[in-house]
Amino acid sequence: MNRGWMLLLLLPVVLFAGGCPKPPADDASPAQPPATSATDGETASGAGESSAATTPVADEPAPLLEPFNPPALAELDAQVTWEEQPVRDAFEMMREEKQQQPPLVSVDEALSMKNDSRDANEKILSALGQYPASAGDVDYEARFDRCVNFDLNSTNPILYSTTVESELHTLTGLSLFSFDRTFTPFGADDALVSWHVSSDRMFDKVVLRDDLFWSDGQPITAHDVEFTFQTIMNPKVPVPAVRSGVDELKWVKAYDDRTVVFFHKQPLATNVWNILFPVIPRHVYESSLQDDPTLRDSDYHIKLESAPVSGGPYRLKSRVVGQEFVVERREDWYLKDGQEVRRKPYFKEIRFRVIEDPNTALLAINNGQVHDYQMNPEQWTTQTNDADFYKNNTKSSGTEWGFAFIFWNQRTPFFADQRVRQAMSYTLDYKEMLDEICYGIYEPCSGTFHPDSWMAPKPSPQPYQQDLDKAEALLDEAGWTDSDGDGIRDKMVDGRKTDFDFSILLGEGSKTTERIVTLLAENLGQIGITCRPQPIEFTVMLEKARKHEFQALTMGLGAGADPTTSENIYTTNAIKNGRNYASYSNPEVDELFEQGKREFDRAKRAEIYGRIHMLLWEDQPMTWLYNRNAFYGFNKRLRGYTYSPRGPYTYGPGIGSIYMAPE
Amino acid sequence: MALPIENRKSKIENVKKSAGFWKETWRQFRRRRLGMAALIFVGALTVTAILSPAIVGTRPIVCQYKGHLYFPCMGYFNPRWENPIFQIDKFRKRYPESLKAKDPASWAVWPLNYNDPYRRVYDNEWPDRAGNPTRDQGRPNTLNWFGTDQRGVDVFAQMVHGTRVALLVGILSMGIAAAIGIVIGALAGYFGGWADFALSRLVELVLCIPTLVLILALLAIIEQATIWHIMAIIGATSWTSIARLTRGEFLRLKEMDFVAAARTTGLGELRIIFRYILPNALAPVLVPITFGIAGAILTESALSFLGFGAPPPNPSWGTLLSAGRSNYQMWWLIFYPGLAIFFTVLAYNLIGEGLQEATDPRLREGGRA
Repeated sequence: MNRGWMLLLLLPVVLFAGGCPKPPADDASPAQPPATSATDGETASGAGESSAATTPVADEPAPLLEPFNPPALAELDAQVTWEEQPVRDAFEMMREEKQQQPPLVSVDEALSMKNDSRDANEKILSALGQYPASAGDVDYEARFDRCVNFDLNSTNPILYSTTVESELHTLTGLSLFSFDRTFTPFGADDALVSWHVSSDRMFDKVVLRDDLFWSDGQPITAHDVEFTFQTIMNPKVPVPAVRSGVDELKWVKAYDDRTVVFFHKQPLATNVWNILFPVIPRHVYESSLQDDPTLRDSDYHIKLESAPVSGGPYRLKSRVVGQEFVVERREDWYLKDGQEVRRKPYFKEIRFRVIEDPNTALLAINNGQVHDYQMNPEQWTTQTNDADFYKNNTKSSGTEWGFAFIFWNQRTPFFADQRVRQAMSYTLDYKEMLDEICYGIYEPCSGTFHPDSWMAPKPSPQPYQQDLDKAEALLDEAGWTDSDGDGIRDKMVDGRKTDFDFSILLGEGSKTTERIVTLLAENLGQIGITCRPQPIEFTVMLEKARKHEFQALTMGLGAGADPTTSENIYTTNAIKNGRNYASYSNPEVDELFEQGKREFDRAKRAEIYGRIHMLLWEDQPMTWLYNRNAFYGFNKRLRGYTYSPRGPYTYGPGIGSIYMAPE
Repeated sequence: MALPIENRKSKIENVKKSAGFWKETWRQFRRRRLGMAALIFVGALTVTAILSPAIVGTRPIVCQYKGHLYFPCMGYFNPRWENPIFQIDKFRKRYPESLKAKDPASWAVWPLNYNDPYRRVYDNEWPDRAGNPTRDQGRPNTLNWFGTDQRGVDVFAQMVHGTRVALLVGILSMGIAAAIGIVIGALAGYFGGWADFALSRLVELVLCIPTLVLILALLAIIEQATIWHIMAIIGATSWTSIARLTRGEFLRLKEMDFVAAARTTGLGELRIIFRYILPNALAPVLVPITFGIAGAILTESALSFLGFGAPPPNPSWGTLLSAGRSNYQMWWLIFYPGLAIFFTVLAYNLIGEGLQEATDPRLREGGRA
């Protein structure tokens, strides 16, 4: 499985959990979730480490929350006008959508097909993506063996920092909200009775269902939500990722066992994403939190790590560190007094096997040891067309809003000039990269927002094409000429002759990235620039990136649920507190991001983000390499999967709709 | 019975001068067929490494351009040695078409095979020559003798140019190891006592360190690890057996009469160590050095295979193996570099064994068979 890209999924997840990440100053460094990734990350390592080690050791950390005295509910109700927000069943919504698109071929036909064209892909997905017509279509006793490429750091929902952890919490966590394939948020009817937002967008009020229970039998109440908020914002608790976004909230108040109100600091379009945080049980952590605010060091917390109390449809059954972890269905989640109060989860167990090596993973799916596997381009194109693969499996792909790019550090003497960055983009041989290195299955990238997304400008700009003459002209114009006739371009920088000689960092182990950077180095060599590819361990690369200690680096990035999330990459503020590793700064872009946050009308927002997109395209703070889609192998018995811009699992219903057909 | 002086003199002159130690060793070594074959193989590899840009490349060995003679192929040894005139005239590293286009009167002598170890050859770069196949299509054919890798880069070109790395790694890292090992072994053996105790413990300490793990750890620390770093690290960790053997030899030799004689003439200790004892101790030390070269080549290949070797796009045998690992159907990515590594390591081991037999009189009989 592609580890790097798994990581990048984190971005949306984090954003989903939190909106616009703005880590508080005191733990800005480690709390940065690794949303970026090695570009195709066949093995780039990387779980974001917990920030425990770097939490200030000083006596008492400064509180993160301003004291606030929430008004009584009656007072609030009198003060604001509540607007009702949707509370839905993601599964039913999707089923209705599916019913309007009958399958193009039968299941048997789909299973006998080879996925060798777009047409075939569509047919396979339409037939195998169907939801079960009756309970007989589902093997409820089945175990789904999933393949992940790195292990968990922590099983505590508020300590999560990687995509594997987020996949676990999708199954074991309590989620009050969900969002569909188009990133439209709604209340989850599994957990909520109602959801209201105030007309001034300053308050959200939700009412929880009364038949929610933790896996230890205690009821789930609004006080758990309030307690979780307080814990996340407790400066002593080393929260690696979840805090960003939650810190945009002013307060969370439980008025009774069922009613919670979220108080926002500002009326923003992104507020809805800030209230989506995971919930932990108050009765389990309330007293132990005092003794051990790390939530993982004391004996009690160590025990909880291996047997956490779960609020979702599954619970952690067992875990062998470095090898696998297994979740099992909670009968008490969907049954109350023998009545089904929620839909019965489709799998008895889901086992996650940790397989780091792509070749081993491919063997495992061929042998039927795992039922899913995310492939790299080489495997998709050349190694999964034979009977070995198709005996147990089929494969499919879907559009994903991820892209790979090269960041040009503008603090170096080379890349501060826009013309130089454009020259870099004109130098790469895109055709060779896409057709040969990426096996023709990735798509050209035309900027930060995916052309299919609502925030992309219409039409999207034309992707760059290699044009060495233009690149040379731009470099000459920017003053990078070969003044001493040694074959390498140079320029006087601060009174000293500087050769155009730089290195590009890339995550170790990703062959595709390595080949692309090598190709770029070759192309740059053609116009008199020395470029040195430098593979480096992924976490080290992130660290260097954060300190702006690099000349250029290549990574991948996933799509955020809301375009505001890109603020963290392109605005001047994000140079210090975010992921603007290249130190790119354009006041107009900063201003537009501010506007976009305050605008509620989607059409107007689209216009704003379209302009941002075009400004970025003009400035080329990065060279956009390709858009990367999702490529999965699935066991032939699996059904009900649909791709979202974030892959087949982490959206509503996502994994909740996947089932195994009886043998 | 005393002979007249003249007579005595002629007797001495008549005695056939017995062969020196090294001459005798060479005579003995020459009799070992396998050892000789290995030596010839290594010699051939060395020639290949030196001539690699003339064997396969995309830059002319020599060309006349605008009235001057140039040797662009030297750029394969060091990018700075590629004549800048071609960069200035916007050749963009495509010599065949550019030479003719920019100076119709130019001529060039080309390498035996038109392929590049760093990049793919594209369509019509060479008149009417199809580009190298990419993905898994690069089976060995008449243009790409050993096939191409997934990028479309010729395997033969990578292997020929990779020879430089393989040989350099072996010889340089063992050079470092020999320098350290001999000095430490000599000091320990000659001075004995506390010096011996301390240095021997140091040897044991280094011996305990798993080399590969240490290399991986150090590579993680070094900012921009190059092949030179790898050589230095291999050299700095693999000197222990050399040191131990040198120490043993010194312990034995320092008690010999010629050392005592040297001492009585008042020679300095360093002079005794390096001029008197060391030459006599070298023979047994050469053997672990030869084996060490084989080990170093294997280590470098292993590192490249794991992806910790020289940074891309440097061609290396291990890197090719690693490319082959992701697709076993592309057997040529494993077969040819695998053979090259196997035979090179075997050759050095055979040379080491031959040396051992040739220098040790007790083993000579066995070699004669």
